[in-house]
Amino acid sequence: MKISVKGLAENLLFAANIFIVFLLGFEGSITVPYWLQPLGRMHPMVLHFPIVILILAMFLEFFRFNETNARETLYQKFTSYLLLAGALFSALTVVMGLFLSLEEGYSGKILQWHKWTGVSIVFIASIIYWCRNSTCYKLYAARAGAILTVLCIVVAGHYGATLTHGDNFVLESVTAPEKIPVVPIAEAKVFDHVVMSIFTQKCLSCHNMDKAKGGLMMDDVQSLLKGGKTGKLFVPGRPEISLLLERIHLPLDEKKHMPPKDKAQLTNEEIALLNLWIKNNADLERKVVDLPLDDSLRLLATTYLTPAESASEEYEFAAADESAIKKLNNNYRIVSPLAKESPALAVNIYNGSSFKSKMLDELTSVRKQIVSLNLSRIPVSNDDLKIIARFENLRRLNLNFTGVSDAGLKQLLVLKHLEVLSLSGTKVSSAFVKQVGKMSSLKQVSLWNTRISEIEIQQLQKTAHGVALIAGFKDDGKHPIKLNQPRVSTEAAVFRNSISLQIKHPINGVQIRYTTDGSEPDSLKSLIYNKEILLKENTTLKARAYKAGWYGSDVITSNFYRSIYQPDSILFLLPADEQYRGAGAKTLTDKQLGEYDVNSGKWIGFRQNNMEAMLFFKQPVMMQSVTLNMLRQIPNYIFPPTGVEIWGGSNKNNLRLLSIIKPKAGKEGDEDSSIKVEAKFKPQQISCIKIVAKNLKKLPVWHPGKGEPAWVFVDEIFLN
Amino acid sequence: MEKDFLEHGLNYNRRRFLSRLSLGLGSVALGSLLIPDLFTGGMDDASLPPGIPDFAPKAKRVIYLFQNGAPSQLESFDYKPKLREMMGQELPPSIRAGQRLTGMTANQASFPLVGSYYDFKQYGDSRAWISDLFPYTAKVVDDICIIRSMHTEAINHDPALTFFQTGAQQGNRPSMGAWLSYGLGSENKNLPAFTVLLSRGKGNGQGVYSKLWTNGFLDSTHQGVQFSSGEDPVLYLKDPEGLSRFERRKMLDNLAALNDLSYKEFGDPEINAKVQQYEMAYRMQTAVPEITDLSSEPDDIIKLYGSDCLVPGTFAANCLLARKLSENGVRFVQLYHQGWDQHGNLPQEMAGQAKDVDQASAALITDLKQRGLLDETLVIWGGEFGRTNYSQGKLVRDNYGRDHHPRCFSIWMAGGGIKPGMVYGESDEFGYNVIKDPVHVHDFQATVLHQLGLNHEKLTFKHLGRRYRLTDVSGKVVKDILT
Repeated sequence: MKISVKGLAENLLFAANIFIVFLLGFEGSITVPYWLQPLGRMHPMVLHFPIVILILAMFLEFFRFNETNARETLYQKFTSYLLLAGALFSALTVVMGLFLSLEEGYSGKILQWHKWTGVSIVFIASIIYWCRNSTCYKLYAARAGAILTVLCIVVAGHYGATLTHGDNFVLESVTAPEKIPVVPIAEAKVFDHVVMSIFTQKCLSCHNMDKAKGGLMMDDVQSLLKGGKTGKLFVPGRPEISLLLERIHLPLDEKKHMPPKDKAQLTNEEIALLNLWIKNNADLERKVVDLPLDDSLRLLATTYLTPAESASEEYEFAAADESAIKKLNNNYRIVSPLAKESPALAVNIYNGSSFKSKMLDELTSVRKQIVSLNLSRIPVSNDDLKIIARFENLRRLNLNFTGVSDAGLKQLLVLKHLEVLSLSGTKVSSAFVKQVGKMSSLKQVSLWNTRISEIEIQQLQKTAHGVALIAGFKDDGKHPIKLNQPRVSTEAAVFRNSISLQIKHPINGVQIRYTTDGSEPDSLKSLIYNKEILLKENTTLKARAYKAGWYGSDVITSNFYRSIYQPDSILFLLPADEQYRGAGAKTLTDKQLGEYDVNSGKWIGFRQNNMEAMLFFKQPVMMQSVTLNMLRQIPNYIFPPTGVEIWGGSNKNNLRLLSIIKPKAGKEGDEDSSIKVEAKFKPQQISCIKIVAKNLKKLPVWHPGKGEPAWVFVDEIFLN
Repeated sequence: MEKDFLEHGLNYNRRRFLSRLSLGLGSVALGSLLIPDLFTGGMDDASLPPGIPDFAPKAKRVIYLFQNGAPSQLESFDYKPKLREMMGQELPPSIRAGQRLTGMTANQASFPLVGSYYDFKQYGDSRAWISDLFPYTAKVVDDICIIRSMHTEAINHDPALTFFQTGAQQGNRPSMGAWLSYGLGSENKNLPAFTVLLSRGKGNGQGVYSKLWTNGFLDSTHQGVQFSSGEDPVLYLKDPEGLSRFERRKMLDNLAALNDLSYKEFGDPEINAKVQQYEMAYRMQTAVPEITDLSSEPDDIIKLYGSDCLVPGTFAANCLLARKLSENGVRFVQLYHQGWDQHGNLPQEMAGQAKDVDQASAALITDLKQRGLLDETLVIWGGEFGRTNYSQGKLVRDNYGRDHHPRCFSIWMAGGGIKPGMVYGESDEFGYNVIKDPVHVHDFQATVLHQLGLNHEKLTFKHLGRRYRLTDVSGKVVKDILT
């Protein structure tokens, strides 16, 4: 049985050899029927069998004549079977491969190499199989045959892989991508640098000399003009009937759409470029800059040629030692790489008071790497600039508000890479600025707040080629703005005998004018504030700030009240409302006014009952007036009291009514305000006072809360 | 937390070492399969402690002038004459297209269109339309890039603000400033990398909460440091009377030694963060007074920013302070100006708000420019969403309101590698929908990170088993507005 299988296999191998010769001979006139195509396409799968089997067989064949092996029958037989199997499989693979090669899209040098080495494998393996038992087949023949076969396998395998995976497939990820030289726009040609670049990126992987799918090759002008099997690629001047664009514009799912669905598609810009190029007669020689300035093709081509993202600047110098950088860093000197894997360093120095020239000197170890140096407000002297002048790759230098002047700055003219130089607030003069053109890369110099006037800067700008001189904001006095209000320094609005006030304004050199009689202050007649104001009476203080070149500020108004006596204790006879009790009864004499906010904790409110308070003095005091500071907020139900009674005497059981006041009743539309209810009486010795302030029990009919009781709020009592 | 402590104790036992080793080798092998470029350096970036940009940045610092409450785009930068023509007419349903409304206007019987009370004019080389409320901004129009096609997902203040600042509406994620501090580190070790300044206008306001400048799950050294709006921007910075610098130093050293003991026992990284914060506070004691002292600013600067710039707690003062902080290497200065929520009384309130911010915002641009800093400082101005083109409440010519509108609004950016003198994006003639170049909040965030040299897809932090980023799972850099 075994023998018959072997015989069959040998016959099959023989037949396969004949068939291969036939296929090779009549390649040109054969078309593979569609049902055989799958067989051809299985070539990439089947080819792995002969590779492995043959390599193993050749290994055994190589050592076949070794003494021990030569005597081993099993060894000999096994090698023989293995060789047969390998040859058969390789023959099968070659047949399939030949079928596949007849399909569309395969041609070129690589294919030829692959084909012929592949076929050689079959022939050599077959020859070895049939000759290996003849007497003339000796050690050297066996070894030479084995080596030759393996060599063919390697070569065929290599080219085969190149066909399917493309050139440099294995090492692609390791070898650095080839850098495409950037063409200056002035020299770029529309065809060579734009159109061809698009083809190379998006089409060439399938339409090249080796793998001309559809018979189309796009490697060079000649083959491009020739077109492919379907016809010429384009009709100059007629994009609408050009095959190239037709294929590009077909729906993505269409089989004939190009590039195929799974490949990188053309961008809209690229399509527009190809369209415009064909429209412009598919010119092959024209330069981009020869096109009219506003020509769409020129504009698009310029954008296409400009590197998309101004990729990070490439530096010529190597990176500094990492440990050196680390050593230079401390709390006041930060040295850090511009970006990951960038050799360039940025240096910031802070805190002028701890600065020493040594801090710059130490940077010399990384002087080539420093591209940015910030010394703003650091007391850098002209001598220090000598060190900085050696930082030859410096791009940005910030010397704002440092002590440098022309004498030192001159040394910086050697910095050929410097782009941005900030000199605001320094003693730089126009003499230096005239020379900045010597720094060939310089783009910007800021000169704000220097001795150089705006007009001078405008003059200098005319001769500063390509360097922007920044003047900044200098007030010309033509558009004055208003000063903000001054502030009164004390919060206490109530004083005992006298109060000393300060009026402050944040802006230096401001003159403050004030009045104490309630009149509006002006810049001519009103008193000029100086150090402090001493008040002894109830006073309305009004103040305004003035300064040359500014509009006067708004008026600030503050009221101050005198209250000579401070009771030793206060007692409410009726409870205050739970929500508005402040800090208890003593809130009434805490010298704090509550403004208009009843929730400030400085107001005490009554609604269910009148306010009734008793004030006690350990020593009798001479008193002639009692003033209640109360609140009126009509919409919030807060009304003036309907009546205030002041009772006084030597103790709480011995009180006489001293005064009754009926304040003006709250009316619709009354503004929110604080109201003073003052009761005056004959001066007399008093140890105890009772104050009663009656709230309005029923709100008037015009009020939204008609019929309900109104609030009274008291925040302070002045006793004089 | 307790589990962490136990885990720490287990760090050094043999069995654990072996089990870790096998697990470790296994995961390295698996990792190299799952993450193809694990060993080629590409992915290393994410696992390395950040602190250095991915690529050379255009901007080194950010000043974000957040207009909290959402200023109306229709009275500022998005000129819609059609709305004036159609004053009082109904908002066409085809334009609204089912947009959800807030509870404040959802039940309104009618949605009368309302045009800007204020006139618009064109300014600068870019011929950008700017309303009369922003005369100073109009003067620097050639230095800024107005984006009129912003859109967001949230419709109420807090989620919208949180979304803008942290990339998520729910909170607890790190704020943009915290991400930058994490990604870039501090430029000046004597100041926090992320500071926050608050101010408040007279208009209807919305609160801001410290969750907006949170470090989220990042190390707490990245948290925003709020400067107070009083005369002392950093409270309790001065040493108490009688305590010398030397004694303070000694105290801190002893405290650090104690904390170190504690760290060795518990291994909680927050202890180290705390020590670093004490140290920074010590250095801030000298650095901050120097910066916050505005009295030495020349008169020109005061006139530039406006007279309020020396009154602590005003927007103008905060702008001036922001410039000084930024100049001194603070990565991210976040301002919030409250009071932009004009549901009613818009013409009057908005005028006040604009007056608060217009001069100082423009001054900041000029000031940075004259110091040669604008090209490396990114300035952003804008709110959390826009406002509706129809009136909330009764429409009177000089008194109307506008409700929240997330679909389309305007912001501006300047410096830091953003194209100057540009108007980007477009809304429909009703100012309701974006019709050209939409910019989502995540796109905006991606762009900001990009300008600072960070790839928003790579700046991640692993938390609760997932890598988080500021832009969540979306965001595209708006390349068209970059120089």
